[in-house]
Amino acid sequence: MDFMLTEEQELIRQNMREFCKNFVDPIAVEIDENSRHPAELLQKLAEGDWLGMPIPQEYGGAGADQLTFVIAVEELSRSCASTGFTLSTHAGIVCMMFLLFGTEDQKKKFLIPLAKGQHLGAFALTEPAAGTDIMAATASAIIDGNDYVINGTKTFTTNGPTAETYLVFVWTDKAAGRKGMSTLIVPRSAPGLRVGEHFKKMGLRSSQTSEMIFKDCRVPRENLLGKEGMGLQMAMTGFDHGRIGIAAQCVGILQAALDESIRYSKERVQFGTPIARHQAIAWMIADMATALSAARFLTYHAAWLKNQNKPFSKEAAMAKLYASEAAMKHTVKAVQIHGGYGYCKGAKVERLMRDAKITEIYEGTSEAQRMVISGNVLR
Amino acid sequence: MPAIIACFKWVVDEAYVRRMASGELDFSSVDYKIGEYDRNAIEEAVRLKETLGGSAIGITVSVPEATKGVKDALSRGCDQACFIADSSFGNLEPSQTAAILAEVIHSRIQSFDLIICGEGSSDLYAQQVGPRLSEKLGIPSVSFVQKLSIEGGKLLAERRVEEGIEVIAAPLPALVTVLPDINVPRIPGVKDTLMASKKPVVTIKKDELQPLGEACLQTLSITASRIERTCERFGTNAAEISRFVGSLRKTGVIR
Repeated sequence: MDFMLTEEQELIRQNMREFCKNFVDPIAVEIDENSRHPAELLQKLAEGDWLGMPIPQEYGGAGADQLTFVIAVEELSRSCASTGFTLSTHAGIVCMMFLLFGTEDQKKKFLIPLAKGQHLGAFALTEPAAGTDIMAATASAIIDGNDYVINGTKTFTTNGPTAETYLVFVWTDKAAGRKGMSTLIVPRSAPGLRVGEHFKKMGLRSSQTSEMIFKDCRVPRENLLGKEGMGLQMAMTGFDHGRIGIAAQCVGILQAALDESIRYSKERVQFGTPIARHQAIAWMIADMATALSAARFLTYHAAWLKNQNKPFSKEAAMAKLYASEAAMKHTVKAVQIHGGYGYCKGAKVERLMRDAKITEIYEGTSEAQRMVISGNVLR
Repeated sequence: MPAIIACFKWVVDEAYVRRMASGELDFSSVDYKIGEYDRNAIEEAVRLKETLGGSAIGITVSVPEATKGVKDALSRGCDQACFIADSSFGNLEPSQTAAILAEVIHSRIQSFDLIICGEGSSDLYAQQVGPRLSEKLGIPSVSFVQKLSIEGGKLLAERRVEEGIEVIAAPLPALVTVLPDINVPRIPGVKDTLMASKKPVVTIKKDELQPLGEACLQTLSITASRIERTCERFGTNAAEISRFVGSLRKTGVIR
């Protein structure tokens, strides 16, 4: 068993840490407060090849492996979970799906600008009445001449307001059930597409989320990703990749919660001694550090399996389930350690706690992860 | 098109050094990095190369584990690296480091236009390797450099000295030691890091070098410095203020 990271992975972690210190930490509070998309930050991430990290260089990416990508998402999320999620969705899911399922022409046309960070990508599956129950979706597309014509509404689309390229999941043959959904590539400029307003959210506020309304929206037939009927299967593959990204984001949140808790508990004096010396606090920190290690190992293991071209669906679900629930639990503890100060704006733990909640919900709720895991182990 | 050499030292990252209750320093879980000012030296070499053409060579004398530092230097834009490694090179004193660098530069690199060093290392900050190296190579040395250019085959350097700024011209080849204000070191991109290991590295072992001279200095111990803090409260009436002044006199803060 080898737990050693490569020198390149260590350097990339160190470089992302420095990037965060210089460019992310100074604006993290403001973009959360104002729910603002940090376009200038995304531009800088693009310059450092971070936005196309796991994509081969021939398609505009950096050619890093999955574990290296996970380390970058983790470190970025340690400073700003919103930006970590933007990166994870864009590169880990959307770019990855183009790489896995795109034709050579589609890769040239769409993947290269995505991987270079000139465009942002979004993944539009969820609908107002179809969350975990994705079969309840209603958006559909019919063929008309050389076009697909899309009608329907998607919601909670990450990067919705800022993306240039959308992967949209629609029924092309509802009667075929699980084999009736297809994935269409929809550019922002497609006629008939209207992108809604950025939602006002509890946490992850600078990650942009919106509705997308398709009314006789037309895209050429060559914008079909993969084959007709493969949509659901591709979405599940996208989720498998995405879950490793969410788990990495949670590891970053946990690390930040631990960093803050250690720092504050050594400084804060009550009853004549730093609260870190009170057993009640010390044990909270012990549990937090243990959960962080467990979450990190589960996440790295899932990424390592992907690197080895081995199945990783179950492990990705386990990592996402454990890391998200640990992030929620321990950010609550981190606020507890900070007391009243932790409940006020300006304390990083307050933001971490709000950001953590969504990780138990998106990319498959904790309940959905348990369905995936139990389905795997009870088979 | 100049050939520029950037010297760097692989040092303990001070963020990981722990101070124990006794004042002793705990190095058991430290990580290492390229010294802060040496990053400026590398950046300046690469910046000059990018404007003038030519090449930038990173060079370090260190322990064999410093391969990560060599990759780091290459990811920061050096075209090639020269890695002089031995397990006994962890605690060299400046005269020894300068002797090794001089020998390798003289015998292996031969033709160069400029050597850039950081003003001092991040760990000991003795500020000796640069000047000693120039002495051994018999080339001009310019220290405290905050701005640097090569014009008409000459070196132009702005030195920050106590009274102001001194501008110096020197013939090439020359050596400069640079201040942190000279530039902002880049953060390598992902591709830079991943491609670093594809660049050429010449590794030189101890037995390929002349026998090393004895160290003149010996480090006997290292302990953390201690700042004693005392807290005393004073009121605002006349008697208290004179007690405050008396207290400052007593501790020697004022006379």
